[in-house]
Amino acid sequence: MADLSLRNIRKAYADLEVLHGIDLEIKSGEFIVFVGPSGCGKSTLLRSIAGLETITSGDLVIDGERMNTVAPCKRGISMVFQSYALYPHMTVYENMAFGLRIARAPKAEIDDRVQKAAAILQLSKYLKRLPKALSGGQRQRVAIGRAIVRNPRVFLFDEPLSNLDAALRVATRIEIAKLKQSMPDVTMIYVTHDQVEAMTLADRIVVFKDGNIEQVGTPLELYKRPANLFVAQFIGSPAMNLLEGTVVGKSEGVMHLMLECGAALDVSADRGALPVGERISIGIRPENTQITASGESGPVLTGTVDFVEYLGEVQILYVDLAGSAQKYLIKAADEKTYARTDTIRFTARAHDIHLFDAKGRSIAGRALEPRELAQ
Amino acid sequence: MSVSSQSRETERTDFVAVLAKVCLVAFLSSLGVVVLYPLFWMALNGFKTNAEIFGNPFALPSGFSIANYISAWNQGIRNYIATSVIVTLGSAVCTVFVSAWTAYGLTRSKLPGKPFFVGIVLGGLMLSPTVAVIPLVRMMQDLGLYNTYWALIILYTAFRIPFTTFLIRAYMLGLPRDLDEAATMDGASEGQIFWRVTLPLCKPILVSCVILHVLFAWNEYLFAMIFTSGADLQTLPVGLTSIMAKHGTNYAVVFAAMTLSALPIVVTFFAAQRFFIRGLAEGIGK
Repeated sequence: MADLSLRNIRKAYADLEVLHGIDLEIKSGEFIVFVGPSGCGKSTLLRSIAGLETITSGDLVIDGERMNTVAPCKRGISMVFQSYALYPHMTVYENMAFGLRIARAPKAEIDDRVQKAAAILQLSKYLKRLPKALSGGQRQRVAIGRAIVRNPRVFLFDEPLSNLDAALRVATRIEIAKLKQSMPDVTMIYVTHDQVEAMTLADRIVVFKDGNIEQVGTPLELYKRPANLFVAQFIGSPAMNLLEGTVVGKSEGVMHLMLECGAALDVSADRGALPVGERISIGIRPENTQITASGESGPVLTGTVDFVEYLGEVQILYVDLAGSAQKYLIKAADEKTYARTDTIRFTARAHDIHLFDAKGRSIAGRALEPRELAQ
Repeated sequence: MSVSSQSRETERTDFVAVLAKVCLVAFLSSLGVVVLYPLFWMALNGFKTNAEIFGNPFALPSGFSIANYISAWNQGIRNYIATSVIVTLGSAVCTVFVSAWTAYGLTRSKLPGKPFFVGIVLGGLMLSPTVAVIPLVRMMQDLGLYNTYWALIILYTAFRIPFTTFLIRAYMLGLPRDLDEAATMDGASEGQIFWRVTLPLCKPILVSCVILHVLFAWNEYLFAMIFTSGADLQTLPVGLTSIMAKHGTNYAVVFAAMTLSALPIVVTFFAAQRFFIRGLAEGIGK
């Protein structure tokens, strides 16, 4: 059981500040995933929590105790490294027992804990092998086993699946999810840049950018209600389509928008109205875009298919829009096959259209009825 | 037509490849002969009599009697070998131990101004032993270490630390930091990380360093001659010169003594050759 509290955590290397005051509360037993692009500070924060990096300022509190200067091994934390970091000259058993031997635990207790962890991770028959005689997935399990035997309060994972191939990554991801279920009291913090891992494993996701937290929320919250353009584009694959536009007029509770591609949109302005002339962006996810048959009412946009990726169960259409240099992506079912130069008309449901102001912040107001303009 | 010209081209390429291989093998064989033949010649002459050596220097001995070897062994070689073994092993252990710790500190510590300390340690490579001899003699006399094993052990250690540190440091720089961090998370202290994680992983380079040190200490002449005076404390190179002075006319015994003195080092090198090559290659490559 461990509550973690990060209060205004800053980390600087000489004059270069890489974490700019991180505030985060993590409840006991939560599975938190840090995501963000390379260099955003997520691994640095994880290493600061582990004690492998000193915290320049701010407080790291675990269960009410300030841990900034406490030695890593005394924080009740175990860490699984991206490279596994198994001791190559020690057997699997010795790798898992190393920490307990350093702590001078009784032999019987060491053996008991190692055997139990090995049984959980299906490593019992590999205990006498050296790491070089194991597959990537088995090595990863040994790394997890080494962390388990110490009975940690907090588990840290630093991109643990990035060295595995696609199939093994899925299998190990499921094992980690099961491991979490079997240890409901242990708090887990998991760093990844793979959003599938983040979405499937996390109770809550923390999105980082340039050393700041952009948004904290459940996977569904981040997907459905991204706080800003960065989160909107980072969560979801393929990324959300963005269309630039301008506020062209207002009437009671409604803003009229004109998009650069020539379409018009009315939105309710229930979180503060934007002035006329303000630049805005609207976002629509490729999977929320619906292709409509010609002649149906309410289509918003019309474009020409430039390229099609067939993925089996779906196809990704890259569509050229008038007045937009960027391709508009559509994730379409495989019921109908599209080809290059096909002209298609498409729309999205009002609650699937996200709105962002000129600074990229989300505007909660929903789109009203999209209407087609003469293009 | 084109098939035929293609096959001629292939034949020509094969011929060049074979010729290159033959040249390479011939060159390496010649090199092997140049290096090994003097050793064989020396060992064979140890089985001859003086008359045979002068009459037929390149012929095989008439019989393989080990009388000359026994004679050389009894005329001091035994003591010289014992002294050389003590001094060589003592200084090898000290050198590798101190250098490994130094290299660990220079690669793993967060010491401010680390490049400066690296420069100081590696700067020792430029220190000439000959220049330091006179002050060292005074120092050893003042410390009461003159004409003791310790004089040679300390000097050999001191003069080999820069080079050995240089090799071990290069190797340690290539070891992943994650292992140190994993050990830190496991609760290991710096000393435990050094002894239980880093040092075992440095085995190849440590073996290389030991072999290089043994080669140096076994053959070192200047310090051995100056810092020891009694026959019971002389190492092999110095001892061999005294044997040559004593038995200057009995070349068969001298050759036998030289063979006996070279034998341990040759055996050591061949036994540990695999580690030696690997350690050096990895140290340089990373």
